[in-house]
Amino acid sequence: MKKQKSRIFGLEYLFYDFVKLTAALPGLIAFRPKTICENEKARKKIRGGAIIIANHTGFFDPVYLLMGIWYRRQRFVCIKELFEGKRGFFFRHFLCIPIDRENFGLDKLDEITEHLKNEELVCMFPEGRINQEDGIASFKSGMILMSLRSGKPVIPVYIHKRAHWYERLVLVIGEPVNVCEMYGPRPTLRQIEAASKLLHEKEDELSKLKRR
Amino acid sequence: MQLTRAEILERLKEILISSDAVPPEICDACNEDSDLFTDIGLSSIGMLYVVIAIEEAFHVRFTGMGVSDFRTVRDVINHIEEHLS
Repeated sequence: MKKQKSRIFGLEYLFYDFVKLTAALPGLIAFRPKTICENEKARKKIRGGAIIIANHTGFFDPVYLLMGIWYRRQRFVCIKELFEGKRGFFFRHFLCIPIDRENFGLDKLDEITEHLKNEELVCMFPEGRINQEDGIASFKSGMILMSLRSGKPVIPVYIHKRAHWYERLVLVIGEPVNVCEMYGPRPTLRQIEAASKLLHEKEDELSKLKRR
Repeated sequence: MQLTRAEILERLKEILISSDAVPPEICDACNEDSDLFTDIGLSSIGMLYVVIAIEEAFHVRFTGMGVSDFRTVRDVINHIEEHLS
């Protein structure tokens, strides 16, 4: 696939932009999103390709990410089952990337890497499922491989679950983590797992930031 | 590039050892019948890592295949042999 920068306009973005624009006002009124940044590096606007990772506590987490990082289009990595049936129309046209959790293929890894190299944002939930329990479940390491192959950083984001409908939605954005800089372009599998654990710890730190 | 099955197996063992995920004694003991997940103990991410390493080492592509399509070392060798020939 020829490398191309993400465009401002394009037919493939029509449905995405329409939904985002029409949902923006009701979303902002209902959730009144507030973004907290871990430090000055995290405060900078996200430019170029990056992998956004977040905790996954509910079906609306992608919406929260869209509100927190409103100035960029985001591609969400979703399970392929969501693309089936009538609802599949929405996911197909909302720049989502279907993956087979049971049988992840290299083609998919290449597809995601290509999006990242085209300076797009790819969002995923490395817990791999909606986690209703307290704390953050262990992370799957696929994001590290994607980061290594594309050379793009991973940005951890923590979504604070609202206890009441009237509370503000709070998102904590962490400092970008560049896995290539940490371990070089060809780390061992053990180092990949260590990087995954480090991001998990980082996510845990972000979860405590709101209380300070 | 023409390689025998034994040579491919040796290079696979080297890849497994360099991945630092499998103990060397398990790598040395593995043969074509070894199950990648139960005998060698690879996780799905480990398998993905090995597949990427194989692509780079043997210059073969794993197009349209997932990590679960391979069960034993024999399956991997068959795929590599098929592409090399």
